[in-house]
Amino acid sequence: MLSKHKSIRNLALMALLFMAFSGAANAQNPTASGVINANLVNKNGISIQFDTNSSGITLGAAGTSAATADFGAVSAFGPLSGGVTRPSVTAGSYTVRTIFDVQVVQGGLTSLTYTLTANLAAAAPIGLSYKVDAITLSTASQTIQTNGGYNTDIPHNLDLVVSTAAPGAGGPAVGTPITTVINFTATAN
Amino acid sequence: MVGGLLCLLAASAGAQTSTGQLTITMNVQSSISLVFQNNPAVGTAGFCPLTNAGTNNVGLDLGTAQFPGSAHSAACVNYAHITGALYEVSSAFDVVVTKSNSSSANYRLAAEISTPPPANVAWLINNVTLSTTTFTTLDSTDSFGSAITKTLQVQVKNTVPAQALQETVTFLATAN
Repeated sequence: MLSKHKSIRNLALMALLFMAFSGAANAQNPTASGVINANLVNKNGISIQFDTNSSGITLGAAGTSAATADFGAVSAFGPLSGGVTRPSVTAGSYTVRTIFDVQVVQGGLTSLTYTLTANLAAAAPIGLSYKVDAITLSTASQTIQTNGGYNTDIPHNLDLVVSTAAPGAGGPAVGTPITTVINFTATAN
Repeated sequence: MVGGLLCLLAASAGAQTSTGQLTITMNVQSSISLVFQNNPAVGTAGFCPLTNAGTNNVGLDLGTAQFPGSAHSAACVNYAHITGALYEVSSAFDVVVTKSNSSSANYRLAAEISTPPPANVAWLINNVTLSTTTFTTLDSTDSFGSAITKTLQVQVKNTVPAQALQETVTFLATAN
């Protein structure tokens, strides 16, 4: 009887020892850790894009810095495309107009405004001249606006002044597409 | 090394710019316009004033007239008995046609009335009777930019019942 009690006690002791060693083993599971050293260089810069104005021609590639504006057929007395108006007709010339938006976005600058300039990429075709906000363009840079606000569409008038003269007599070519490129530059003030 | 650093600093301090291109396309077309104007003699006999003069949509009031007694209410009209049974009321005005981006040297002018007149009533321009079915040529080589004087005539036979005679006369200028 006494021997049986000893056997039971020994089994209990062995179980306790096993449990104790098991706990010790769990407490020593290997771990690992690491850190990421991240860097970002926040550069400053500005961008320009052309947007369609609700009163003007629907621009091609609107929202980019390389947009197109198709006036369609223009004449002194005939119908005009949507978004094109004819604010004046005189004996010597007539003006067709559309409105387009310029949006300049800046980041990382303390600049509050920008200066907008424009120039023709090549000399104006015969019988035509181009104006932005009443400023006649040439191949030399012309200042259009000196205090443009960032991050908002700013409307500008684009006028094409067309001579009424006949082709070959100082007037523009008739019945053929005429394409002109206007370069715009926005400079942070 | 210091020089290079200064160059970098100078570059970063420069004004920030962005460029864009807007490509414009257009197609110029020849065009002409026609407007009616008061003749310089407006107000005198034979030259009634136009309403809305200077446009391509004007009014011309010839007043009232009757066969007996050569009676007519408007002093600005010409009234005449053409035959023993026909009278005519007339008034003149100017037509000006302008061209743009055209090498055309001149234009031809035609006219048409919009509704058939009552029996024994005729509408004429410079003695050319107008019809509702076709444009009747009035001139073949009118000059652009010049005022061309035209006389609108209405001829009424004495058998025509009393009524208002109203007509719309459409003029058509075509560049040659």
